[in-house]
Amino acid sequence: MIDPELNRPAASQAAPASLFGTVVFPGDAHCEAFSSPARPREHWQPLVTALDATGAETLNLRQDRVRRMRHEDGATYNPFDDPTGKGTPWSLEMIPLPITAGEWAGLEAGLIQRARLLEKILADTYGPQHLLKEGRIPSELVFANPHFLRPCHGIQPAGGRFLTYYAADLYRGADGRFRVFRDYGGNPAGLGYALENRIVISRVFPELYHQTQIRRLAPFFHSFHHSLIQRASLRRDDPGIVLLSPGPDSRIYFEHALLSRYLGYPLVEGQDLTVRNGKVFLKKLAGLEPVEAIIRLTSDDSSDPFALRRETATGVAGLIQVSREQNIDIVNPIGSGFVDTPVLSVFLPALCQQLTGENLLLENHPAWWCGTADGRDYVLANLEQLIVGPAMDRSTPPPLPDERMAAIQASPHTFMAREPVRPSVVPAWDRSSVNSRNTLLRVFACATDEGFTVMPGGLAITAADVDTLISGSPEHQQSKDIWVLSDQPVEPFSLMGGLQAVAEFRRSSDLPSRVADHLLWLGRYLERAEGLVRLLRSVFRRLSGEARPGDIPELPFLLNLLRADRIFPPVPDDGFDIPRYRELSAHLNAALYDKDRPESVVAILKRVQDAARNVRDRLSLDSWRVINRLEDFADNPASDPLELLDDTLFTLSAFSGLAMESMTRGLGWRFMDMGRRVERAMNQAGLIRIGLPQVCGEFRSALEALLEVADSIMTYRARYRSAYQLAPVLDLLIVDESNPKSLAFQFSQLVAHVEHLPRQSDRRFASPEERLALEMLTAVRLLDLSGLRCSKGVAQTEGLADFLDLVDVRLKDFTRQISAHYLTRVQATPHYSTIPGDRQP
Amino acid sequence: MRYCITHKTAYRYSEPASLSQNELFLHPRETVTQRVIQSRLTIVPEPQYLHQRMDYFGNIAHVFMVQQPHEELAMSTVSRVETSLPVTPAAAGTPPWETVARRLAAHESPAELEANQFVFVSPLIAISPAAAAYAHPSFPPGTPVLTGALDLVHRIFTEFTYDKSATTVDTTVDQVLADRKGVCQDFAHVAISCLRALGLAARYVSGYLETKPPPGKPRLVGADASHAWISLFVPDAGWVDLDPTNNLIAGESHITVAWGRDYGDVTPVKGVVMGGGVHSLSVTVDVAVQA
Repeated sequence: MIDPELNRPAASQAAPASLFGTVVFPGDAHCEAFSSPARPREHWQPLVTALDATGAETLNLRQDRVRRMRHEDGATYNPFDDPTGKGTPWSLEMIPLPITAGEWAGLEAGLIQRARLLEKILADTYGPQHLLKEGRIPSELVFANPHFLRPCHGIQPAGGRFLTYYAADLYRGADGRFRVFRDYGGNPAGLGYALENRIVISRVFPELYHQTQIRRLAPFFHSFHHSLIQRASLRRDDPGIVLLSPGPDSRIYFEHALLSRYLGYPLVEGQDLTVRNGKVFLKKLAGLEPVEAIIRLTSDDSSDPFALRRETATGVAGLIQVSREQNIDIVNPIGSGFVDTPVLSVFLPALCQQLTGENLLLENHPAWWCGTADGRDYVLANLEQLIVGPAMDRSTPPPLPDERMAAIQASPHTFMAREPVRPSVVPAWDRSSVNSRNTLLRVFACATDEGFTVMPGGLAITAADVDTLISGSPEHQQSKDIWVLSDQPVEPFSLMGGLQAVAEFRRSSDLPSRVADHLLWLGRYLERAEGLVRLLRSVFRRLSGEARPGDIPELPFLLNLLRADRIFPPVPDDGFDIPRYRELSAHLNAALYDKDRPESVVAILKRVQDAARNVRDRLSLDSWRVINRLEDFADNPASDPLELLDDTLFTLSAFSGLAMESMTRGLGWRFMDMGRRVERAMNQAGLIRIGLPQVCGEFRSALEALLEVADSIMTYRARYRSAYQLAPVLDLLIVDESNPKSLAFQFSQLVAHVEHLPRQSDRRFASPEERLALEMLTAVRLLDLSGLRCSKGVAQTEGLADFLDLVDVRLKDFTRQISAHYLTRVQATPHYSTIPGDRQP
Repeated sequence: MRYCITHKTAYRYSEPASLSQNELFLHPRETVTQRVIQSRLTIVPEPQYLHQRMDYFGNIAHVFMVQQPHEELAMSTVSRVETSLPVTPAAAGTPPWETVARRLAAHESPAELEANQFVFVSPLIAISPAAAAYAHPSFPPGTPVLTGALDLVHRIFTEFTYDKSATTVDTTVDQVLADRKGVCQDFAHVAISCLRALGLAARYVSGYLETKPPPGKPRLVGADASHAWISLFVPDAGWVDLDPTNNLIAGESHITVAWGRDYGDVTPVKGVVMGGGVHSLSVTVDVAVQA
């Protein structure tokens, strides 16, 4: 027991105020950092000293940096959809949790033993079921357990492993000993966040990180990868390994994208995969590519909607059948969620003895199953001291307090009870001071040729109260980096080594149709956003001067452009071209910020972000950081619109530049650039069509505005050094192939792109999209603009209007052909309809 | 008795389906009272992939895939079986239901362990207080298990209305219990739920029943249907099949195809299809007596 006298803030006794003086010393829980108030444990001393030396002010700045880096890396969940919460799973708090080498060695041995034991249990349960037949596990654990998937029984995993990847939640009790609170085998979460935390913390505390001997995480990922690719079930060269994720709607999609980028396996969703001839294939632009191994990040019961009779779009129909035929290695196999069964741990000490002849090294959190008479009697006699919960399925809600007794008696085997958890507390930086938080340690192990290996580190999950820690969602918990200290100097092993350029493009230039589709739209939305921002900037720039709106001659032209894009409502029948100032500013405000208008800046930026999120694993980290800055737009409705538009344009350009620069000139780049070219051509053609009736007005300012909105004013000045005249302006905007903003330039790029797409026929210009691109390019090259002039305030533009109409039709046809040819494998979800079978009469 | 059963299922799609995947439980299984002479499966168009296996319950399942565009899909199974009359224990001589429930919970013999898996809730059969309450009058303390089950089946037969329009594949047991209407599948689910509520083991049996035309009328070919009933575990005697829809102990004219915890484990034909638009389904079954 801890002397209650000591149970006071340390500040009252320590003379020089330490930042840790505010830590309230818990009476009934273990304190990770201090052995008594003001006396740090030995392995915490360097950390406490370093943080004290840093000072509160600098620490606040660093915590801000941590938040910013996490945010820019994209660890924030769906920020646009969640304007209030900005919910971040396991938001990172910067003070690490160090563990001594000796203590870790004990944990490591215990976890390896536990993973081995759990794998044996899985192999038996999905195989001969000796444990069941010999009564070593209760029949309920198999027959009444939704985690036991009957369709998976009898399947021998192709890779020979029933459990490759395992995680556990540990806590340290008041007695200072670690215990296991939960096991994860289905699809353990948190590995990516642990990796991200390490990347961020090592950057925020570079000196501390490099002075302290901390074991590196990278070797764990390397052994995971190497053990996987050496499996006999995989092809020797270029094995088809994918990460199967539920997609961007998953709240931990960030982790999936990070792991994909780090491990170099393409990130796919259920709709990217298809089953043919008892094998799995990835749907790519050039056709189907065989998949031999799947790292499964989907839950057991949503992995195969066909075999498991679930209406879900996340899985792959037929996946279990492929496993049955041993044509796919799934990590972990479907059905391994059996490990997650809460009550399983109660039987582990005995099973460990029986199966391995050893004692279970890591203790369980004390728990009792109500399915035996002894367990039930104990639980019912101690109901007030225990926490009753589901025995089989963690997601079942626990019974209400006054219904516990009846519920247990009605169906005892479905309940278990635990002692309340008293986890240890850790110091945590809380705005300006150090506070105490309860903590769990999520640790990870993977199977290698030489048995299981444990990642030296992990995710310390923390919360202010124990309930949130135990049953809260990741959005309400925080996390820390776990530092496993080493007695020996650690070998330098760069964590960033895995984070190279995007993997898919390294492997082959082909890519999944879904990704191509998203990249195409990313290109289109980026261009649309840029065009709109540029146009609005021209409007705001004019309105910010001294002239009254009515005195700005080109304003009607600019407003007409906004109306044509449905950004402004049409002119009412009895209204004027220029609305009154108040009305005008309301429209402009809506054009910027109204989320419900599909064409507002904020809505289009959201579409840019959504499209980017769908291809997150394809974008470099730098470009991803830039795109997260687009949120500033939604966050700052009060700031000066002109400044904001300038900033946004800058961010968009930076993103486009980075995204394009960091991509090899493969198909991904081509689809994104095609999207951009198509959108720009549509936009330019529209500008000119709307501009034509007005450019010959009294003032030539409309012509200047046209050039400005088309982003060609500098080129014009450099080339013509003359006043704005119709023919040269249109020449520059339409036929000048050296102007990257001209229609001709867009068409020549499109022609080049379609030539490089995977094709059925070797003959050039055989496909409709090739012919369409070429037709547009030829039409613009043959366009005769010599007769163009202004006569009596009206542009004489025979032929031009027809040409622009033709361009509009051809561009739409072009996008349709591209979709039909390359992207139709992308089906709207749910892509399968199920036929449940006829009723039996 | 010797039977020849023809079971035809056809899908017709409004648009071509590019890919279709199906699982079939149409191959009759061997039992103590049933010998399978032959069972032949024909699929049109011919599937690119076909796999046969034995499932967790010992049933024979086929999985197949048609991978080229198709507007129609037809599956037909022709099976020839020979059935014999099961030996049913005298109801009054069976052990009291409480003893049976206790033995199932202890499951000391392999047969009892095997039966134990049919005691629990299953995906389509919840065990609700309503089911327990409905079962109660048939099982006064000490009632021999088969006597109670026969009474339960009799009550379902008399108190429930056969009504094809009252339920769908998704109707829950509680709903059927409340409405007292349904088809053979619903009656089987209700009976199983009631028996499991008492701690007894009951399984869902999918199969066929020979229908006899009214006297003097010819038998109509193809007018039969697939059928479902239940099976109750009676320690030492084995499984006894009861048909709540017809209020009888299943005999020679019940042909067993497959059994499981509920309809979902043994759905005769289920599938997923990519594309295909709207689908329509037609099923014909013919049970013919062979000389």
